[in-house]
Formats: sequence, C-alpha cells, structure tokens
Amino acid sequence: MTIAAPRLTDASTAPQPAPLSGARLVVQALEREGVTHIFGYPGGAIMPVYDALPGSSLIHILVRHEQAAALAADAYGRVTGRPGVCLATSGPGATNLVTGIANAFLDSVPMVAITGQVATHLIGTDAFQEVDIFAITLPIVKHSFVIRDTADIPRVFAEAFDIARSGRPGPVLIDLPKDITIQSASVEPWTIPARATEPLDEQAIAAANALISRARAPLLYFGGGIAIARAEDALRSFARRTRMPSVGTLKGLGAIPTDDPAFLGMLGMHGSKAANIAIDNADLLICVGARFDDRATGKLDSFAPNAKVIHIDGDPAEIGKLRRPEVALAGDLNLILDALTAFPAKADPWRNQCAAQKEQWAQSYDAPGNGVYAPALLKTLSERAGDKAIFTCDVGQHQMWVAQHCRFTRPQAHLTSAGLGTMGYGIPAGMGALIAEPDATVITVSGDGSIMMNIQELATLRRYRLPLKILLLDNSQLGMVRQWQELFFDENFSEIDLSDNPDFAEVARSFGIEAFTVDHRSQVDGAIDRLLATSGPVLCHVRIDPRANVWPLVPPNKSNVEMMESRW
Amino acid sequence: MIEAQHITVRFAPGEGAIGRIVGLVERRGFELRGLAMANDGPHAALTLDVAARDAGRKLDILDLQLRRLIGVHSVSTSPKTGSAS
Repeated sequence: MTIAAPRLTDASTAPQPAPLSGARLVVQALEREGVTHIFGYPGGAIMPVYDALPGSSLIHILVRHEQAAALAADAYGRVTGRPGVCLATSGPGATNLVTGIANAFLDSVPMVAITGQVATHLIGTDAFQEVDIFAITLPIVKHSFVIRDTADIPRVFAEAFDIARSGRPGPVLIDLPKDITIQSASVEPWTIPARATEPLDEQAIAAANALISRARAPLLYFGGGIAIARAEDALRSFARRTRMPSVGTLKGLGAIPTDDPAFLGMLGMHGSKAANIAIDNADLLICVGARFDDRATGKLDSFAPNAKVIHIDGDPAEIGKLRRPEVALAGDLNLILDALTAFPAKADPWRNQCAAQKEQWAQSYDAPGNGVYAPALLKTLSERAGDKAIFTCDVGQHQMWVAQHCRFTRPQAHLTSAGLGTMGYGIPAGMGALIAEPDATVITVSGDGSIMMNIQELATLRRYRLPLKILLLDNSQLGMVRQWQELFFDENFSEIDLSDNPDFAEVARSFGIEAFTVDHRSQVDGAIDRLLATSGPVLCHVRIDPRANVWPLVPPNKSNVEMMESRW
Repeated sequence: MIEAQHITVRFAPGEGAIGRIVGLVERRGFELRGLAMANDGPHAALTLDVAARDAGRKLDILDLQLRRLIGVHSVSTSPKTGSAS
C-alpha cells in the first residue's frame, strides 16, 4: 500500500486588519469551522473565552457536569459526522471531560475538546486548578495541542478540526493557557496539508472478487466503520446484489436495516443465535468496518473457524490486528464495496439455511406473568417511534436489550457507548442528539444504575426544554453485574443492590420534568402513548423484574457457539 | 524468549511527540528496552529496542499504529542481534 506525500494547499483566510485577543480568535476559529453549538461549563482559566462568547454566532449549552459536555459533544459528532465541541476550564473541569474524550476515542467519534489551562508562566508549578491534561489524555486522543502563542490559535484550531474529522475520526484536545487567550495577536496566513486519497488495490479487489464468486457460505460482517465512512448505501447495495446474509456489531446496527430479511442480527456476546451460528458455518467472512473486537468474536481462535476472511477497513492498522485476513483492503469503504462486483452463485442453499435459522430462532415476546417484559416494551416502542427515532443508551442490560429488540434503519439512530461502556452516556447523548437533529424523536433508554451517573443533566433538559424521552428500566439492581454474579460467580451477589434508589419520578419532577411510573404490563401501551405524545422532556419510570437476564449470552472465554440460552 | 527488535520512527518534533510514540509502544504490549534519538534533517528519529510482551503482539501492527500518529512520517523495523527474555 502506498500513501502519497501530503500536498500543501492554501486554506487560510485573509490576515486580520487588527490584532485580536486570543479568546476572540478562538471564537472566530470555531465560527470558521461552522460550529453552531458548544457544550461546556465555565471556570477560572477559561473565562476569557466565555467573555468572548456573547455576541458570537455560537450557542453555548451549559451542562451541569463537564462529563456531560463531552458525552453530548460525542453524540453530536456521531449524528452529524462533524466534530462535536466541548469546553471546560482547567484542573477538575478538564479531568471531568476525560471519560467523554475516552468514549469518543474508543468509538472513533469526531470531537474537539477545549480546555482552559493556567497561565504559561504557572504551568508546572502546581498552581491552583493546574493539571497536565495534555499528558493525561495522550492515550485517549487522536491528537492534542497546547497553544503557546496566541497567533497560532487559528492554525491550530483548523488543524484540530481537520484531524478530528478526517480518516478514522477521533477526539482532539486543545489546551489553552489563560494568558494565551488574553493576549492579542494578528492572524498570519496558514496552510494545512491536504489529505491523500488511497488508490484502490486492484490486485486485492480481484482476489476478493474471486473469493466471493467461489463462496458457498459467504457472510457479511459489518461494524461502526460503515457509519464513519457514511458507506451505508454502498453496503446495502453490495448486500442486495450479492444477496448475502449479514450480521452487525453493536456499533454497526442500522447500517443495514434491522428488519432486512437477510440481516441475521447482532453477533457476539449478546448476539442472536442465528448470527453466531452463521459465523460459525460461514466459509467466507467479509468484514467491513469492524475490528474483531472481543465482544463480537468471543474466543478468538474459534471465531469463524471455517471461513476465509476479506477485511475491509478505513484504518490499515485494524487489518490483521487480531485475525489475519486472506485479503486485506484498506481505504475508502464506498469505493471498495462498489468494486466488489462478484456474485456468489453457489450460495442459494446457504441463503435458505440462514433464513430458516433466523425464523427458527426468532425471539419470543410472550413472556409469562403480568410484569413489564422489557424486550417487548422496547420492541413496541421502537416500532411506534418510527424511522425518525434516535435511541441513546446507557450501559447494562437495557443497552443489550435495545440492541437486540429495537429496529434501526440508520446507524445514527443507535447511539451507544460500545467501546468504553460508559454508564451515564444516555442522557447527555440524548441532549447532543437533539441539538444535532432537533426534528428527531430522541429516546434515552437508561437503567437505575446508569441514570444516577449523570442525573444532574435533567436540569439541562429543563433549561433548554429539550424534548428528550427517557425510558428508565428500573430493576433496583446493577442488573448486568447481578446476572454475571448469578451465572459465573456462584450467585455470590456482591454490591449490586440498589433497592434504596430514590423515587425517580419524584426526582424528575423536582427538576421540572414530567414523569410517571408503570409497573404492570397492562400499562405499557398507555405509557408508550404518553412518552411519544409529550412535547417536552419526559421520564417514564418502569419497574421490571429484578431477575430478568439478557439472553443469549456467550460466557467469558467461550466460543460464540457455546452461548447460554433461556427464553426469559 | 521473545526476540527484541529495533523500530525507528521518524517524526516531526513537537510538544508531546516523544510521549505519544513511547506511550503507544508500551500500551500496545511491547516492553521498551532501549531508546535513542537523533536529528534527521527537519525530522527527529527515535530508535527503540522493543520486545513483545506476548506472542499475540505483532510488530507489523505496531508499525501501522505508529504510522497513524499525527506527525509520524515513517516507521521502519529490523531484527536486533541476539535475543532477550
């Protein structure tokens, strides 16, 4: 693979007629990048930037905890494909961003995080609210800058946005010492390198087409890279013309509509039986924008044991990292998928087998009893919310139920903390999604453990009247931990009891949020009606069976075909 | 016994550049056994003696991960004479 040398192009603006303060230059730089919204929280070292915000075109969303600013910016980035922007002060403001930055890093989300820093002459003196956020975040950013000269602000911001959104996206940190934002400077013209485009590897394309045409049991395995490359159309076109069954990762859901007849479901630890069995039986695996993550593969050396692999990814460093493919194709997923024109003519029996197994092992929703069965509730809610819905999740059992039982027609409809698994992602992500796509029906599905991690953001919903619909599935336990303790720790239940939770509906109402509670199956239809009909923010608190588990489940260090199953 | 290898990274000098490279090498499962740096025209060249912590760590993948860093211009690897435990 060859990568052309970067070419310099003039991306500058005309020099400013008069010197401007660093803070004004920051605001101008953000406006130049087309930023409309910033999620942030002010404090000492970043005050000059806050002083420059009024009168600008930027809309600042004041969150109640910096972590929520980063997570909301993450969701904004996922929905729009443009970097979400978060802003915090030095010290604790900056460290509170860290989880959100890591979240964006692990899920390859474009983000620019801006932190205030103590004045240059105080750096390294253990000054008040000084931490080395640049060093703290080195392992979890795509790149980072400390600005040492006010005149560098426009260039650094332009570079930061370019880096954040190009190639495999990711978070970029800009640390701004206070004196740099106060001092004035004239803007000099600057250049940023143009991005090289990857030429198609024709030899590899030919090899891939040859494998496809010979395959008797080909399977398409796609992941979050599809959304990053905005390659949904190319993927769907490939799947249609090859009539190939497909499986998706947690982050890939929606890239092929979940109700597509040839889509077998999510693979992996909580994947569908049809998906995991198909992986096991496939003779050719075409992995597109996925990375053989351990949650997807289970025990790696028994994953797809009979399959040759074509690995297609935008990031060459992902290819061969965990599984050596027979054919490696790094580059633009759209171009590569369009070039794969072979048809697996001998695969009809396989197609029929996959379809039959999908039907045979389809989920049942007629759970016994009168309590609320969360999978059935989520399925109905998702069907009624329609294609304009965006689901944001917290982390735990409910997150897996959403992935298993909701329908998605685009990847941007499913915002989930896949890589980092951040409890507390749901509500801030809902805020970010609503800012990014105000016409969407945004639904946050949370659990009683997760919601407490960022419950203060109910105040932000109230302040901006963001019409987020929160579905809180409350089993008064840390359900996923409880499930693992039940199954793999001999029922030694340790620190999972949350039976002293507050009354969540009362809590929401105290923030000025409409709220109601249901605990009986007969109330579900009415609850969905009310949730979808409410014009402002609303919380539906649902009490569910604390013994409910997520099925299927692949035990740790087991092959995906060794999944544990139970109906309820 | 996992053989130590040389890896040479040419990069644009800048704040955090060395920390990024060394941090990535260690984080990705390689033990750092030696380090030398030299100027190489407009670039700096960092030569690292590394050994994989387990058999699943592949130097060619580390090479690609280093190339992904902003400011890294080239990476080359070569076997080191002798071996280390």
